Amino acid sequence: MEEQDFIDDLKAGKQFAYAKLLNEFQQKVFATCISFVPNKEDAEDIAQDVFVEVFNSINKFKGNSKLSTWIYRIATNKCLGFIRKRNTKKRFAFLQSIMGNEIPMDKTKYFTEMNHPGVLLENKEKSETLFLAINQLPDAQRVVFTLSKVDGMNNQEICEITEKSLSSVEALMFRAKKNLQISLEDFYKNDMK
Amino acid sequence: MENNKNIKNKVESTLLAMDTMEHVNVSPFFKDKTMQLLFAEKEAQTSVRGWFTPKLQLATLVCVVVLNVVAFTQINTSESLSYDENINQFAETYRLSTSSETSFLN
Repeated sequence: MEEQDFIDDLKAGKQFAYAKLLNEFQQKVFATCISFVPNKEDAEDIAQDVFVEVFNSINKFKGNSKLSTWIYRIATNKCLGFIRKRNTKKRFAFLQSIMGNEIPMDKTKYFTEMNHPGVLLENKEKSETLFLAINQLPDAQRVVFTLSKVDGMNNQEICEITEKSLSSVEALMFRAKKNLQISLEDFYKNDMK
Repeated sequence: MENNKNIKNKVESTLLAMDTMEHVNVSPFFKDKTMQLLFAEKEAQTSVRGWFTPKLQLATLVCVVVLNVVAFTQINTSESLSYDENINQFAETYRLSTSSETSFLN
């Protein structure tokens, strides 16, 4: 009931309701964004876009899911959209996969400059490699892996955000881990040559 | 063999790297910036349209029409003065009229 009142205030465009929304969700939305896009400035821009989208589309919110789930869904889609836009390498990768070539991970082609204040200096290189490997995953696997391992959400929350069953989330997680291991192994093999 | 072991260790330590990632706080002015972004445009729109309600718009239109009508009637009444009268008045004002001219020779 209380949430419904809050949603009604948001729909009415009341300023205090948006102030409350930002107080409650700015950190969580930003955390989700920075787990997908490891650059503080980019993550903040995306988080801001998320709240603008909430402001513009709140009337389309039917209440089938929790407000937080709906907001996280917007955040996830915005992050994927941002990565897709910046990731020019993907088209090249597609062509390469048609031709049956292996694509080595190339740090110079990464979609953003790595600037994650939470990464310890001694782990900077490893984290860069890891984010690069996550970037190679298909969207569905990337979303599940990032929300779980980087953002720290539980499987139930991920099910609600991705609108998938628990078993398919677990399957995606398993495949994501396996693919990550393969691409990291390839990367270090090439590195040793 | 040792190489493989090395690679496996590296992969494992890379996967563990995300566990050591520290929590990052959003910038302190994020909320203010976002609130401004959300409401600045709306406020600008409402400040113009807010007070200028349809009633006021109609009243303004009526005022403009009345003012125009009054102005037109004023012009029409001033035009009723004859042309000659106007010319004479003008000539007298600037002492161009021959009738009022005084000659020193007379």
